[in-house]
Amino acid sequence: MPFQTEGIVLKNGRIKSLYFILWVHCPPIANQVKPGQFVMLKVSDDCTPLLRRPFSVYKSYPADHPDKRKRGDLSIVYKTVGKGTLKMTTLKRGQKVALIGPLGNGFTLPPLPSSENNILIGGGMGIVSLFSLTEKLEGRNLTFLIGGKTRSDILCVDDFKKFKLKVFTATEDGSVGMRGTVVDLFFSQRIKFKKDEKYSIYACGPVAMLKALSKAVSFKNLTCQASLEARMGCGFGACWGCVVKTNHPTTPYQRVCKDGPVFPLKDIVWE
Amino acid sequence: MKDIDLTVRIGRLKLKNPVIVSSGTFGFGEEFEDFFDVSRLGAIIPKGISLKPMMGNPPPRIFETEAGVINSIGLQNPGFEEFVKEKLPYYKNLKTHLIINFFGNTQKEYIDLARRFDGIPGISGLEMNISCPNIKRCGIVFGTDPRMAYRLVHAVRKATKLTFIVKLSPNVTDIVRMAKSAEEGGADAVSLVNTFRAMAINIQTRKPELGNVIGGLSGPAIKPIALRMVWEVGQAVRIPVVGMGGIMNAGDAIEFILAGASAIQIGTANLVNPRTGIEVVRGIKKYLIQNKIGSIQKLIGAFRG
Repeated sequence: MPFQTEGIVLKNGRIKSLYFILWVHCPPIANQVKPGQFVMLKVSDDCTPLLRRPFSVYKSYPADHPDKRKRGDLSIVYKTVGKGTLKMTTLKRGQKVALIGPLGNGFTLPPLPSSENNILIGGGMGIVSLFSLTEKLEGRNLTFLIGGKTRSDILCVDDFKKFKLKVFTATEDGSVGMRGTVVDLFFSQRIKFKKDEKYSIYACGPVAMLKALSKAVSFKNLTCQASLEARMGCGFGACWGCVVKTNHPTTPYQRVCKDGPVFPLKDIVWE
Repeated sequence: MKDIDLTVRIGRLKLKNPVIVSSGTFGFGEEFEDFFDVSRLGAIIPKGISLKPMMGNPPPRIFETEAGVINSIGLQNPGFEEFVKEKLPYYKNLKTHLIINFFGNTQKEYIDLARRFDGIPGISGLEMNISCPNIKRCGIVFGTDPRMAYRLVHAVRKATKLTFIVKLSPNVTDIVRMAKSAEEGGADAVSLVNTFRAMAINIQTRKPELGNVIGGLSGPAIKPIALRMVWEVGQAVRIPVVGMGGIMNAGDAIEFILAGASAIQIGTANLVNPRTGIEVVRGIKKYLIQNKIGSIQKLIGAFRG
């Protein structure tokens, strides 16, 4: 691990607006990937675009999954924001796609038995990395807060509603759910927190969201893991291109691809 | 497969093949363990080391261009003490040459480092970096002034018995002159090219794409210029030339060897296809077989222009 391998495209299509979902058959990665990990995908066979692109794994079906037909499959959700992602929309069923993965540290789950309140906070594309985490946390006390700029940025909510959890939505323009940001939503939840209970927060979303959240989570019984994204070079820890500033005593610049993408939110130094 | 000889020489150093991986693109080597047996390469050059640890530049440190990458990593490294304590032990099981890339802020630091590395077993050679484009002070004066370069190389030469390679910057008026200075100073070989100073601007934010504003361009985009420089330097010096700049596959590597490189380095390609190194070794061997050439030595500088 990680593997440098190929997947076969099963399906590639638009979810809505600028968001797409790509299904690939890639057993080596599907079997090993953990919640919060990602893959580096080679978009073209030539030098343009040159670098691979990082994508969180959305759904994955390992070799022992009860649904036999889906074993070895995984999906990624992507937004067409630039050259690389635009080119990805042309990937067709049966095509081979070069992948490196699984990459990154992933989320840390609290051990069982546990009485924590688990709160998942997803902003826009951030919900993608929270799906498999939700699967693993099923059965525990779960609340899911999802936010975005407008209706078209609220993704895959129906997939999450299949689990036993409380879902709250917020959009900045008020088109769906509460009017405001997902951090505003968190504040409205936080006032109900009980002093003698533990809270584990898992957050993934834009820098602005995580920065605002970092000001809201300094509580004694509250731990917050944040999954970051960054422009990446190699994606597997060799080039040191994707760093984030942290409060690490000797090495403040840590790699999002290898030392992360999940970091304790309190360790991030925001500029 | 016939008995193809891929061995090349850099000074006293005998490499099993001409494929080396470039400092800064291969981490410390362990990151590539999952992809192939690193000992199959001719040599590895880990991340450049300075006397004291360096934090590196603020992000963003990477920006993709057409067929290239601009980077402003900023020479982040753990420093000499930490490197020897934490990273060096990993190389105990390495069955190929370890060449250490190093740099300093002053001539004294360069000499000090060279002397320290000289006494450490398991190191086959040193590659002196006088050519980082994204650090204001690091060696940039040595890298552009032929007389300062000569003095530095001459002083460091006295401090080490190891095979001593000088890595040249292409951000100079006359790279042939720089190469000659290194040769006169006593370098066993020169390696070229390091990255080209470059930048990009985001027109939505109207800010530079890199946190450090200026970075170094690498990748296929620079190959034609790098190749020309390798050829010109190879014509002018007698010491071996290690060529690099946009090598993505065996064909690219062979171009550099034909132009005069005794060995080549793979850099940016490692980020895109981690197995590039081993694929290039195989590709060079295949080329020799197909062209009925028994030894890579016959190819070095075979293009005479």
